[in-house]
Amino acid sequence: MRAFDYALRQGWASLWRSRGSSTFAIIAIALAMIVLGALLLLTWNVEQLLARWSSAAEFSVYLRDDATSEQRGAIESLIDQSGVTAGREYVSKGDALSRFRREFAELASLTSGFEDNPFPASVEVRVRADADADGRAEELVRRLAAAPGVADVRYDREWLARIASGLATIRAAGLALATLMAIAAGVTVATVVRLGLYARREELEIMELVGAPLTFIRGPFIAEGLLQGGLGAVLAVVLLGLAYAVVISWWGQDLNALVDGGAVQFLPPRLLAYLVAGGMAVGSAGGFAAARHAG
Amino acid sequence: MKPTPRRYSWISWRFRVARFWPSEGELFVNGQNLATLKRHEIQEYRRGVGFIFQDFKLIRTRTVLENISFVPEVIGVPPAQQRRRAFQVLKWVGLQHRMNAYPLDLSGGEQQRIAIARALVNDPLLLLADEPTGNLDPDLSLEIMNLLREINAGGTTVVVATHDRELIRLVGRRTVTLDQGRIVEVA
Repeated sequence: MRAFDYALRQGWASLWRSRGSSTFAIIAIALAMIVLGALLLLTWNVEQLLARWSSAAEFSVYLRDDATSEQRGAIESLIDQSGVTAGREYVSKGDALSRFRREFAELASLTSGFEDNPFPASVEVRVRADADADGRAEELVRRLAAAPGVADVRYDREWLARIASGLATIRAAGLALATLMAIAAGVTVATVVRLGLYARREELEIMELVGAPLTFIRGPFIAEGLLQGGLGAVLAVVLLGLAYAVVISWWGQDLNALVDGGAVQFLPPRLLAYLVAGGMAVGSAGGFAAARHAG
Repeated sequence: MKPTPRRYSWISWRFRVARFWPSEGELFVNGQNLATLKRHEIQEYRRGVGFIFQDFKLIRTRTVLENISFVPEVIGVPPAQQRRRAFQVLKWVGLQHRMNAYPLDLSGGEQQRIAIARALVNDPLLLLADEPTGNLDPDLSLEIMNLLREINAGGTTVVVATHDRELIRLVGRRTVTLDQGRIVEVA
């Protein structure tokens, strides 16, 4: 405990003494953590959106114009008895046209030129999340597609998979970039800490000669790296928070519309804590690399 | 290249604090073979050895009292004890009134007395002094040697490496003469 206390006090004193060069190390850590934080912010929000979309899965069964009421009844029975749906709604041809006019008001004038209503009647089915996950919904879709009176069934889950795959690519590229930047930041910390080590070489020689334990000799340098890393990461969190606030105040509505009426959110405290811990780990690693030259 | 006598005294001193190892033979201190010590045992051993350098090796950014309390501080002695012990040895060398001064504000003799106080703060069994009077005038040199005699009288083994034959004659203690790294005389 005394060694820890000594390391922190000396680490802080050394950081303050060399505050000019330490600033470079702190900025380097902050840049790496900003890249990592921005990546987390993007992927976390997209993951939230994907989870929401996955849990709100729906498919539409489009009926042929000549489908009889018996055929429609059989389709609805098939849906109700499948046990994989959370509800259904019949949308008549007229309802479909009205919905189009309401949702695409700027195109509504086009529909006045139609001789016949081109929109098909449909049954919109809400799928239970567990049924979507275990493939039972897909099975129901196949059976419905083959049922009499059905023109088409739309249950396009591929685009969700494509987004998830794109997200994985972005995450991998971002992680690679953040790792490179973290390594560069760690090297910067090591260089700065090592400069402090050279400045204190007489002190270190005395420590070695009087039999100071390694924790006392090397601890302050690791602590200095840890403090630089922590400060850099906290700076990154503050800057990310400010950037988020600015972006939300300028483009908040557009972004929220983009995420399907949800809200783009800042990183939760758990992820922010990981980010700060990551910065401290990078700083400590740099400090440790430098400390190996002491004692 | 022929090594200088200065280098020899430095190297033998380094042997005794277990920084270098003899290429031949064994080195025993207080019945302990230094070659067989493990890292943590070396640290333990060094805590029982005081050291004094020709150039004092005081830390310029620390006050006199901080320079002395630095030694117990870095081996984990509680803060209150560090300062008490440091003040005691500072008083013993007669410089308690300069406790808040910085090394560069002191004379050479005062700096060497501070270095002696620092060497004594852990109450060592063995005190190694490498040319302790090398940077001092004859009067101050004798003063420092008398201080070392007092330390020796208190039960601490004091080993002084010096080229000053006159000082050796004045002190009149056991003398081991080295030439080219070999003992040539014990008087």
